[in-house]
Amino acid sequence: MADKQEVLQKVQEILTDALGVDEEEVAEDASLVADLGAESIDFLDIVFRLEKTFNIKIPRGDLFPEDLLSDEQYVQEGKITPEGLKVLKEKVPYADLNEFEKNPDVSGVANLFTVGMIVSYVTDRLAS
Amino acid sequence: MRLEDKVAIVTGGAQGIGRSITSTLAQEGSAVVITDVNKEGAEALAEEINSAGGQALALEGDVRSEDDAQKVIDATLESFQHIDILVNNAGIVRDYLVISMKPADWQDVIDINLGGVYNFSRKVIRPMLMARSGKIINIASLAGITGGRGQANYAASKAGIIAFTRALALELAPKGITVNAVAPGMVVTQMSERVRSFTQDKVKSLIPLARYAEPQDIAKVVLFLASSDADYITGQVIVVDGGLGLGPRW
Repeated sequence: MADKQEVLQKVQEILTDALGVDEEEVAEDASLVADLGAESIDFLDIVFRLEKTFNIKIPRGDLFPEDLLSDEQYVQEGKITPEGLKVLKEKVPYADLNEFEKNPDVSGVANLFTVGMIVSYVTDRLAS
Repeated sequence: MRLEDKVAIVTGGAQGIGRSITSTLAQEGSAVVITDVNKEGAEALAEEINSAGGQALALEGDVRSEDDAQKVIDATLESFQHIDILVNNAGIVRDYLVISMKPADWQDVIDINLGGVYNFSRKVIRPMLMARSGKIINIASLAGITGGRGQANYAASKAGIIAFTRALALELAPKGITVNAVAPGMVVTQMSERVRSFTQDKVKSLIPLARYAEPQDIAKVVLFLASSDADYITGQVIVVDGGLGLGPRW
């Protein structure tokens, strides 16, 4: 079983490579979009590299549930609905939604995706 | 040699414009994977290239099939380890006035011409992303820009390819992958024979350069886009029509 620190180190290498940032910038609490400048294609790139590095299969929407944002049931007037928040919690239990819930604006969803979230996801996947 | 150590997949690569593209890329040093529904034609061309000292692999495949696309990508990676160039060339015509065009005539053209580009591009993104480089070249048509009487299905599919090219270019540019299109005018191939004979060569009189294109005219532009000379070009459509699309002349 992979140790969380070991996973973090590999995730840092992946993000350094995928996003072209310095390793020091890839802190556990760094947001992929706000701090590391990730664009939509980068999420796909990151998923591919995680799959290859850790030899796991990551189903679409499992790590980054972007599909949720185009579902009218979960997004209304630019905000995630209570139902959407429930689904989001289920899909990304690794993300810290406490602050986000106060103002569940769609534009803030990307900021939930942090380095630490990826590390938790991968660690759990490797353990299961 | 402009494509030494490169690996290219050419869909519909066994005949017409595709055959010329395949041969041209191979002559410039690229290993080529010829995928075509015409298995015998693909195998014969691969044999020809291999006999001449090149590297070619023939794979039967229908561009409409997501599974076939994946199999071609997997087989290419297994044989050559990387994919540098994808030429989405496979296409058909089913020319009828819209009023006479059956739903199957519409759907087949859209599924093969446009759906095929989607299928193969989608499957090649992963290996190109991992490699941080790649060139996707889509064969569109002048008809996709100007339309064409009796070609609503074909013109729509080619216009779709042009829009797809621009959209995908934007998506993949941050990862060093370029996506461009070549839009041929009237090319001397078996596929265009019906139109050329039906119009009794009237189209030729409208071409400022006063001749139809040969497949090689298109292949040379594909070679340019596949080479490092075109590293800074993405999302573009290069029209290769002898000036046909320029409109009325006086």
